[in-house]
This record gives sequence, C-alpha cells and structure tokens, in this order.
Amino acid sequence: MALAWIVPGAGHLYLRRPVRAAIIFITIAVTFWAGIAIGGVMTVDRENEPWWFAADMLTGVHGLVSWGRQHRVQEQAIVDAKLTPSDQTGRTGAGRQTAAAQEIHEVLAERNLALVPPVDTVARAYAGVAGLINLLCIFDAAMLALMGAVGEPPRPTAPESPAAK
Amino acid sequence: MMAWTPFYNPMPMSSATVLWLVLPLCASVAMVYKTVRTKDVRRLPWEVLWLFVYMVVGLIVLGVGLWLLMKYWP
Repeated sequence: MALAWIVPGAGHLYLRRPVRAAIIFITIAVTFWAGIAIGGVMTVDRENEPWWFAADMLTGVHGLVSWGRQHRVQEQAIVDAKLTPSDQTGRTGAGRQTAAAQEIHEVLAERNLALVPPVDTVARAYAGVAGLINLLCIFDAAMLALMGAVGEPPRPTAPESPAAK
Repeated sequence: MMAWTPFYNPMPMSSATVLWLVLPLCASVAMVYKTVRTKDVRRLPWEVLWLFVYMVVGLIVLGVGLWLLMKYWP
C-alpha cells in the first residue's frame, strides 16, 4: 500500500502488471500536474483548503513535491508581509489570524500567485481527483496483494464449440 | 495582464473555458478506472472510450435536468 501511495502505479508494478502500472503512473501524473499548471504553485494549500489538500496528498510523491514548492513560496510571502509567528498561530485571537491571512493573500496577489475563481476550482479539482483515483489504485493493489493475485489474469477465452470436442 | 508561467502562476481563464476542462478530467478518470477494472488490457481503449462517452452524456443529462429544475420549478 505504501508503495502504491508513494509512486502511483508502483503497487501494480510490484504485482507484475507493468502495462497497468505505466498507464496509472502516466495518467495520474498528467492529471495532477495539469492541475498545478492551471492553478500555479498555490494549488496545494494546507491552511486554506484542507480537504483538497488531503486529496492532493493521495498522489504521493507528486503531492509532496507540490506541497514543498507551495511551502517555500508561502514562507517567502510571510517574510515579505513582515508577520510574526504569533500572527499566524492565532494565539492572540482569531481576528489577528484572519488579518495575517489577508496580508499573505495580498502579497501573493501582488505577485500574481493567488488563486481566484474560476481557476481555483478547476486546478484543485484536477489535482484532487488525481489523488482520489490513486486511492482507487491503492485499494486495488492492496486487494490483489491480499488475494495473492500476481501477474495479469488469464485472458477470457471463447467457449468451445461442440464440433471442437 | 501579467505573464503566465506554467506551474507557478495561475492560468488566465474565462468561465466559458472552464466547462471544456471537464472533458480531460473525465478521460483521466475513465482511463484509470478501466485500467483497474478491466480483465483484458487489449480491450482497454474501447472500454475507456465507452465509459468516457457514458460519463459525458451523464453529465450533460444531469446538467440539463438541473437547468430545467431551476428554470421551471415554482
């Protein structure tokens, strides 16, 4: 399961289904990175979109790389907005935390990085759906492993005609 | 308009364009779902095509149904 999560398709490769593994890997990678190409670096956003973030993380290495990129940009925005750590943790009140989030958003908007409708929905749907279809592949690989189904299943054959008997 | 750098800046896009982007997403879902479910990989292209058509037609029917509901519901 861990293998299928970290690299989409790796679970099927491990189960000696290389064609399916390649299709899964390419399709999930293309879908996820299409979402990032549409929405930019801020598509994966843990603070503001936790549910989409959870779906993004199901893509394994793709989601982790994107989160790393987003984190670097977000940290730079925090530095440029001259915010203190207490502004972001909200220890001094929810109002101050909201104001800090607004300042970060403004810094990102100045740099043309902030996601706005309708691009945000499309980008997050692409990246999130890539994660959800990888969840399907993770479960499939786990079930096949539990059943001991290694290799491609035997091809369905046409029923024998009475004349052939 | 500011320059768009793929994978960094959000793509400039109109609301009309957004609807068309559901097609590649449906294709992607159909591809992975059928890759997992099919018994014979050689039949995969046809099965993916059928599921894709099924999904798109289903979405259109759902969209028209909801539009009619919004338009004619008292």
